Amino acid sequence: MQITGMLWGRKLLDLVEFPHSEVRGPELSVDEIKDMIKRHGQIFIKPLFKGGVGKKGKAGLMGRVDNITDALKEKERLYFAEHVDGFNKVKSDGVTYEGGVPADFEVYFSISESTEHRCPIMTITHHGGVDIEELGEDKLKVVPFDALTGLKAFHVSNALMELGAPTALISPLVQNLPKLWDLYNNYGMLMLELNPIRMQSGKGGRLAPVACDFKCAFDQDDPAWKRLNLPSHLFASDYSEFEQEINQLRTYQGQSDVFVMNDKGTITAPTFGGGANAMVTELLGEEATISSDFGGNPPYVKMNDISRISFKYWLPQSNVLFIIGGKANNTDIYETFRAMGDGLREFFQTHGPIPLFVVVGRGGPNVIRGMNYLQEILDSLGIPYRFFGHDSAMSEVINYALAVNEWMKNGGKDEIKAKLKI
Amino acid sequence: MHKKGVGDFPFYCGINSLSELATKDDRVVVLNILGKESSGVTPISNDYSGGNIVFGTGPGKSGKSLMTKSGKIPVYNSIREGLDAGHKFNTVVIYLPPSGVKDGIAEAVKENPDLTKAIILTEKVSVKDSRVMRAICQANGVDLFGGNCLGLADAWNHVRLGGALGGNAPEESLVKGTVALFSNSGNFTTTIAVYLTTAGWGTTTSVSSGKDVYIQYGAKEFLYAFDNDDRSKVAVMYSEPGGYYEYGLKSDKPIVACVVGRWKARLSKACGHAGSLAGSGDDALAKEQWFMDYFGVDGIYTPQKPIFSKKGALVTNIAHIPEAVSKVMELNGQKPDFEPKGSLALKSWFGNNQGLSLPPELDIPVVEAANPYNEQIEALNKMVGAQHRRETLKDASGASMMDPKTQVSKIHSTSILDASLKTFEANLVFALTRVYPCEYGEKIANLALNMYVNQHGQPTLAAAQAARENGNSPNTVVSSAVAICGKKMVQKAMDASNALLELFQFSKMNDPREKFDYAEQLKSADKYKDALLADGEDHCAEKLATCLNSAGHSVFVQFVQDYAKANGGKLSTDALFAAVWTTLGWEALRTKKISKGTLGRLPWYSRIYSTIVGVSAPAERFTEDSIAGVKLEELIPNYSFTKTAFVTLLGRQPSESEFYEFQVLLGLIITNGPGTISAQGCKGAVSADGPEQPQRVQLNKAFIGFLTHTGFAHGGNGYEAAAFLIENFKGKGLKNAADTGHGLDLGAMAMEVANNYSDYKKKQKAIGNLDYAKLPCVNHPIFKGKDVNYDPREVFVQGLFKDKGINNVFLDFYHSLVEALFKAKVSKNVYCVNIDAVIAVILLKVVWADFNDGKMKEEDIESASFATFLFGRMIGCAAEIEDHTSRGKNMDTRTPASKCSYVG
Repeated sequence: MQITGMLWGRKLLDLVEFPHSEVRGPELSVDEIKDMIKRHGQIFIKPLFKGGVGKKGKAGLMGRVDNITDALKEKERLYFAEHVDGFNKVKSDGVTYEGGVPADFEVYFSISESTEHRCPIMTITHHGGVDIEELGEDKLKVVPFDALTGLKAFHVSNALMELGAPTALISPLVQNLPKLWDLYNNYGMLMLELNPIRMQSGKGGRLAPVACDFKCAFDQDDPAWKRLNLPSHLFASDYSEFEQEINQLRTYQGQSDVFVMNDKGTITAPTFGGGANAMVTELLGEEATISSDFGGNPPYVKMNDISRISFKYWLPQSNVLFIIGGKANNTDIYETFRAMGDGLREFFQTHGPIPLFVVVGRGGPNVIRGMNYLQEILDSLGIPYRFFGHDSAMSEVINYALAVNEWMKNGGKDEIKAKLKI
Repeated sequence: MHKKGVGDFPFYCGINSLSELATKDDRVVVLNILGKESSGVTPISNDYSGGNIVFGTGPGKSGKSLMTKSGKIPVYNSIREGLDAGHKFNTVVIYLPPSGVKDGIAEAVKENPDLTKAIILTEKVSVKDSRVMRAICQANGVDLFGGNCLGLADAWNHVRLGGALGGNAPEESLVKGTVALFSNSGNFTTTIAVYLTTAGWGTTTSVSSGKDVYIQYGAKEFLYAFDNDDRSKVAVMYSEPGGYYEYGLKSDKPIVACVVGRWKARLSKACGHAGSLAGSGDDALAKEQWFMDYFGVDGIYTPQKPIFSKKGALVTNIAHIPEAVSKVMELNGQKPDFEPKGSLALKSWFGNNQGLSLPPELDIPVVEAANPYNEQIEALNKMVGAQHRRETLKDASGASMMDPKTQVSKIHSTSILDASLKTFEANLVFALTRVYPCEYGEKIANLALNMYVNQHGQPTLAAAQAARENGNSPNTVVSSAVAICGKKMVQKAMDASNALLELFQFSKMNDPREKFDYAEQLKSADKYKDALLADGEDHCAEKLATCLNSAGHSVFVQFVQDYAKANGGKLSTDALFAAVWTTLGWEALRTKKISKGTLGRLPWYSRIYSTIVGVSAPAERFTEDSIAGVKLEELIPNYSFTKTAFVTLLGRQPSESEFYEFQVLLGLIITNGPGTISAQGCKGAVSADGPEQPQRVQLNKAFIGFLTHTGFAHGGNGYEAAAFLIENFKGKGLKNAADTGHGLDLGAMAMEVANNYSDYKKKQKAIGNLDYAKLPCVNHPIFKGKDVNYDPREVFVQGLFKDKGINNVFLDFYHSLVEALFKAKVSKNVYCVNIDAVIAVILLKVVWADFNDGKMKEEDIESASFATFLFGRMIGCAAEIEDHTSRGKNMDTRTPASKCSYVG
């Protein structure tokens, strides 16, 4: 759950009265763009992304223009711009127009959680506006601070002094930056970044910080972000249709943390436990449809709902239903297997039979009762299967599932089809 | 702001040695002790740890307690109340929901100055609360663990604090040894401990750290305490991506690290540059490198390429941990703690190829599971047959369904199109056993079904005849006879079935057609003497035995004969009858497709099947020793039940093609899913008897439910099409409906019908009657809209007949008719000829010659048409009845009053 850009960022900054540049959305008419250029001298045109886009500094995703002809060209270039960061690809849907802020200094500022210091940290430099990780260590300051008291003026002041920042910067930043802790702390953020904050010269030459770009990430486990009443479509692009449907089941008991791995995958693996999830995700790779962690002793009804949704989306294309986890500590295997077995039977009843092979690797409370229940359902559906206990190496069970998948691709599926008379 | 703890950490840490993490002296309070999670886990923790939990809390639950084998754990409203009651503790375990966790920590820290450890099991605690709790605990000198962890366990001290490490049998996994275990994954803490035992390694202290953004007790603190723990000789650390917890680790002792999760990088989205500074750079690859740099190795340890140093090894697969530990420790001069226990090789506990031939590498044999799981499996194996979970079966069925796309219904996952290629008897067996019988099975099924068809001199026939003579429809006629087929009529046979089941259920015999030594069963059979032997004279038994023996071998049939021989030759027809049905149902029982109850009920179904076919013929068709002129001695051993049904119904022998068409026809009618009125009728009848006590379900009454839920509109309407065809073919000189040289101009006939219908339709519309009569059996709500439309079921049947060289003038006429309707502009496109037409034309063709010769009247055709429907649908309804009896709930077909409406 992330917000990128000033269109929504400015609304959040307004909550703590942090100054920002003039920002307008894609609805702007030609005359209005002309007017903006006239007032600001130059404007920045940026693609409008929803959700997280990763780093985009060097991606050429910004147009700096001072006339309407260039503005319209940049609008056309950026309106549906695509951006790739790592494995993620996003596409913009519109542009924002942001008034240019003439300044001699650009400041980078962020608040985030540090696993090294195990407390919140502020990161600051007056050499902002660039890829911050490329700066030398002496040019930026990371300041851990107390979670109970929060970010204080002295943290900012000390950091800037230690960095040797021009004195003209210090006072306006000390006055304004601590406000951002309120935004961060009160609305469930995990990261807040303003880069750049341009230091605009005001009356009498006094500098004032103006936020010119905005990024933040929210903690999904903290309901505080809901107080912002942000439209849900803002985060929709972060999730597939399947993820959105299954996320509705999300409660503190877990069990619905699911991601789509490969929407063309052929192994659907309900996975139990974070460790198993990491391992299964790793070894199945592109073969997997989803990455899931259904551990944490889900009750029958919830597991059945999860199965129903997951099976509906992924079983039709799957060769292997792979139920995998280690030796459960607390998860009742009978309840979870009963829920999945019933879900599978329901799928067959509703959608008709499909050629499938079931592989299971699991241990824990009531494991034999659970396996027996699932076995009976599979026997009644005529689906071939192999179940392994926790005394078979999980990685070997995963390799077995992969081998079954290969066999299915190379004729096994047809054999099962013939057997099931599909 | 933090208290000074041990070591030179930039924060508070109070644990000097791992031996202090979970000790016998720790006294524990559990918050939300009566919650679902805690009430399952806490008693096991308390018992494993020798009763270390002093009390629990639950707002408003003061006075309650949690039962454990080590005694009751009292529950108070709050920590204050517990302390006031005189309890003392140093550890708090938190099972509160996420929003309450921070408050729980605040309460424990504020109320109890003796608090030294706090363990949070709760998942999805917000980051904000985590950092605040950390700050509170740091300031007050409390070591915090979790959240989202499973707590701590010590195999030496026999103590576990917090969650469910080791599951419900901690001794199985927490085996005393020299490995200190630290894992980001709770499940893997236990799984790795189990894996280690396969190489002879046990554990000292196990820490499930959790994997939230804040890992409150991290890898550095763990290694510090590990170095100070003399019991621990080697550490195993399981790490997942995210966080700098493992960066710059060091220890005086060897470490085996497992880092998993390279692929996970694809699932996360970095957020701006702050992510680069605080979040990224800590993915799996980075963590692998940190460990490799520390160990001084240049690669990952695998069994194929073991790379390790005295300092340790890095693996990326938990299955490689035990071997890596052994190798590293060998270099350090240390041997495993004990003899290896088991192995991690693939061992399949359950498996079934479902008749497929898998490649050898996939065809892993099912082996005996390790103790105690093998005993549990053995106990389950003693549970013979399917164990169905009962559920509401209103408008639902485990026997039939209709595919909304193709409109083709299925019975036990077999399309009725495929079922129509099977014989009547095969489908009757399949409906109940969910497995088609083999050739031998069909032979003995025919014997069992044929032997009770002749109703001569029976009250069933008298009842049916009386009903018929009083003007009842065929279904009502049959119902009156079926009412007489109560349980007592077949009790003896059912007793014999149950006796055979009791004797053979735990035997290793899977296929009764193969030889099996039943000496043991013969010895134990005396207690079932009454069921297995004839009461008095049983003239039919020997004849039946001869027929059965000549059909082939069945262990059950042979057993019944041998047992009778050993007991004075009192061979029983009922026992042989039961042996036939036990043979037919055995495979399904062994493969858990049917329950024991189903097997016991099969003889009852058989008698009802035979009765329905028998009484559908008028009384005069039977004599004491014949049906429609065929001697029983000829019919019973030699006729298939399909042929018997044809002869009984129509009073004559079928030709080869008629026989085939009749069989196909019966298959096509089997089912239209659980929503059809006939299915609803039989299911309602079962539901009303209360299937939760299946022995009370009256199967014959359930068949009456089916029969009474057919009628002139459902089952009898096949006649509508026949009447339409008769109207158009009467007096046209057609003698044989199979004759392609019939000389009729079907195109012209069809055009005439189409033009007449067009005129009729126009007139009706002109007078404002939109409810005008429709032509039967053309068009379909699904198969429409194309230029030329086909009902795939009709296409299937037409293809079948074409392959067999079977012609049907009436079907040809229907095809001409749909074209003529288009030409006459009655239809906008060429309608399909639907499946109902197929049913009508097959039957009419069969009776046409008799009708044409005046041997049969129109009403006889209607009756025969209706009875044929009943025969076919009997298959589907038998399946529904048995399914509902086995799986349904009492009165589950009722509709709640709230869903009913008054329309008066």
